[in-house]
Amino acid sequence: MKNDFKNGFMANIPIGFSVAAYGSVCGMLSSQSGIELYEMILMNVFIFAGTSQFLIIDMWSNTLDVIGIILAASMINLRYFLIGASLNSLFTKSSKTEKFAYMHLVADENWAVTMGRLRNQEITPLFLFGGGVCLLFVWNISTITGYILGEFISDPSKYGLDFAFVSIFISLIFTMYKGKTNLFPWLVAAIVSVVSEAIFPGKLYIVLGAIAGSLSAVLAHKGTK
Amino acid sequence: MSNIDLSAMLIILGVAVVTYTLRVSGLMFSNSLKKEGKVKVFLDYLPATLLLSLVMPTILKEGFLGVIATVCIIFCMYKFKNILLSMSIGMLVVGLGRNFIL
Repeated sequence: MKNDFKNGFMANIPIGFSVAAYGSVCGMLSSQSGIELYEMILMNVFIFAGTSQFLIIDMWSNTLDVIGIILAASMINLRYFLIGASLNSLFTKSSKTEKFAYMHLVADENWAVTMGRLRNQEITPLFLFGGGVCLLFVWNISTITGYILGEFISDPSKYGLDFAFVSIFISLIFTMYKGKTNLFPWLVAAIVSVVSEAIFPGKLYIVLGAIAGSLSAVLAHKGTK
Repeated sequence: MSNIDLSAMLIILGVAVVTYTLRVSGLMFSNSLKKEGKVKVFLDYLPATLLLSLVMPTILKEGFLGVIATVCIIFCMYKFKNILLSMSIGMLVVGLGRNFIL
């Protein structure tokens, strides 16, 4: 229990390589689009959500559309509502203060690693938080490096580094498999996400796929009762 | 402080507040629900369906290579149950494929 912070920190180091690859690109693009270094660091610390930071960089220009950027970034981060909802089982014994303190450093990566671990081991929210601190370090170091080195960094996607996080997520999905009843909802999630990715702009497909998959599980359960 | 600096600060603050609110409210909302029946099933399935929705379009965009890598990762997990090894295999397949096949 006491080592949960450290264990969470360590467990996120493998996926940290992938985050670092992303981070270096994010830093490089930030400097190119005229974002100041301190602005990027503020985003790293206070927004702490890579995909929305990429979107902000993309929409950054000489005249900033404040409302437009905030709305677009919020749409991308809508999935954090579902991620928060799924973390309920981890926080059952926690106080409100703990919830408010630990939830900020929740990203896709440490959330996924925590959910994978939660399946076969009893852990506390400190595991999640330790992972978040690990990612906060990696994200800052890699984006700052990318920002300073700029064009000197060669494309990390050439070495398949960007596929590391996809690989880890696939492995984690595998550990969540509990039997044939899972297959139908999983298939629904997969199909809906792929179809809505083609139809809707932005990252709405993540939320739509997840809701469709989980709803189909509810319906399928009703049928078997 | 010039106008652009002020706008930048407003954007960072706005996105930060919205994102944190989403993170916390999701947890608070699910905590206030009754954890039985339909709600339990929905929440139980959420981690896997979220992860699947996150990766499926990316895998398919990678094309044949993405599918091959996915099969290798699943096989490796089945055989060795080692996430680090599976990750390395996935990256290796995609890295080699991009450099030597495509």
